[in-house]
Amino acid sequence: MSIENPAASSDGSWVFRADNVTKTYDNGKSFANDAISLEVHPGEVYGLLGPNGAGKTTLVKQVIGLLKPTSGSIMLGSFDLVDDPDVARQLCSYLPQAQMPIDSFKAHEAISVAGAIRGGPRTAVKERGEALIAALELDEWRDTLGARLSGGVRRLVGFIMTVVWPGRVVILDEPTNDVDPLRRRLMWEQIRMLGQEGSAVFLVTHNVMEAEKSVDRLAIINEGKLIAAGTPSSLKSDDSDRLRLQLMLSPGEPTPELPEVVIRHTRAGNNLITEIPEDAAAAGINWARHMITDGIAEEYALGATTLEDVYIRLTGDVASGRVR
Amino acid sequence: MTAVELAQTGSLPQKRKGAIHWWRSYTAMLRWEITNMRLLLPITILVQAISGAGIVLGFGLLIPAMEPATAKYLSTGAVVVTLILVGLVLGPQLVAQQRMSGSYDFMWSLPVPRTASSAAWLSLNTLIAVPGMVAALVAAALRYDIAFDISPGVVPAVLFTLITGTLLGYAIAHAIPNPEVTMVVSQVMIFVIFGFSPISFPAENLPGWIAGLHRYLPFEHMANTVRGSLVDGLATDIGHSYLVLSVWAVLATTITAAVLGRRG
Repeated sequence: MSIENPAASSDGSWVFRADNVTKTYDNGKSFANDAISLEVHPGEVYGLLGPNGAGKTTLVKQVIGLLKPTSGSIMLGSFDLVDDPDVARQLCSYLPQAQMPIDSFKAHEAISVAGAIRGGPRTAVKERGEALIAALELDEWRDTLGARLSGGVRRLVGFIMTVVWPGRVVILDEPTNDVDPLRRRLMWEQIRMLGQEGSAVFLVTHNVMEAEKSVDRLAIINEGKLIAAGTPSSLKSDDSDRLRLQLMLSPGEPTPELPEVVIRHTRAGNNLITEIPEDAAAAGINWARHMITDGIAEEYALGATTLEDVYIRLTGDVASGRVR
Repeated sequence: MTAVELAQTGSLPQKRKGAIHWWRSYTAMLRWEITNMRLLLPITILVQAISGAGIVLGFGLLIPAMEPATAKYLSTGAVVVTLILVGLVLGPQLVAQQRMSGSYDFMWSLPVPRTASSAAWLSLNTLIAVPGMVAALVAAALRYDIAFDISPGVVPAVLFTLITGTLLGYAIAHAIPNPEVTMVVSQVMIFVIFGFSPISFPAENLPGWIAGLHRYLPFEHMANTVRGSLVDGLATDIGHSYLVLSVWAVLATTITAAVLGRRG
């Protein structure tokens, strides 16, 4: 079905544009966001990646009007979202990182009230809500009180509350947290669907592997700055002639001396990740086998570089901790 | 998927505004607030009713043989205390809880006018407060065998009291970022209102400077207008009290609007 959308502009297209968005605290001494500029088009799923505290959430809170930029502009089509936070809230929907306050709501009630609050007509909201409950396989919890839902199911209900009557920009902050792998896949299908229906989706995450598979474009943010942006493949292009050689070190082993072919290495726990040139594959494997024979490592894996390698190179962050 | 498809392609919709948008937002938010309180609503209303009646009956224990005039004075005071406490306790509690659970951001990212959210909140407070007021009046009538002279003025008097109390509580809760501080401030206000406000006793009983202060604070005037609407002859200069209360109601509304519209 279609909803009436009286046109605000007649050109039939719009774009989300953040221009030099800067947010400082302590009288300009600390930068939560430092001159971030990006552009997102309808239908795109756009990833915002970065380590904890990088400024991703600060950025989206400025889009939705919860924070005001110190300087810079945020435009959606001809609407100035900084000047008019009311219109920002109407045109953008937001799934925050924290769980939704739905203890006293049955899942389907939370969804229909959220749809009404978002301005959706009653029957259409109901229809779409039920369809989303079915699509995410949540039928058995439809009538369960929020207080009795597991973290993952609650997260999914929160997701439906956000998209049951979505804004043109849908902001999802770590949407798949706590969600089981099966439903995670279903959720991604729905996120893709939002794009096809014409929304622009902002996906805030530090799960690089997941993002690589699901986003059209992404920006990597670190210490408040946008340090790289593009499609997953374009970001990997610098690393195209390289391979990732990963060693699982024996517990307690210090990082061994590395052969000359290693261009870069990072370590997270017992996991030693190295990058080597493609034509040094044989030398790399030799070395890795040697490490296993000597009892320094337990196993190794050789593969194409991933977005995670790019991410690690740019941010110095490894999923669970800092690079040593 | 089989979900209802949205025709979102193309240009952006116009901004929603005006009375219809406001009314829809108000009813949706009221639905949200009532459902949100649903598990606690019956017990909250009951506690409100019991405490309203309890305060009235408690006065009888303090003063065993009470003159009808005194009984009227004290029980109308109890009515005002129950009306004020709802707004000053419930708002700070709820907002503190939202801040601690992290759901505060979600609530304030919703596309509804701030005034519609506040009005929904005020309506919920009214729903909770009125039974307490009725219980206090019924308890007083039965216990002290007194008749009230309820005039239509009760509606504006109660409304002004509720608006000012609820919105002040709401504004305090939103203005203070730290939920623990919010709770302390709310406790202090309860203490001040119970102990040092001329609601159940005349202002003359207080030290001069506190009595002077209360000429400008809303509490004495809440008591005066509500009392004037419930009994004859115990309240004086009601017009002046309404004037002071109007200023406070406007002030509370303005502060609330400013605090809610503020972006960090």
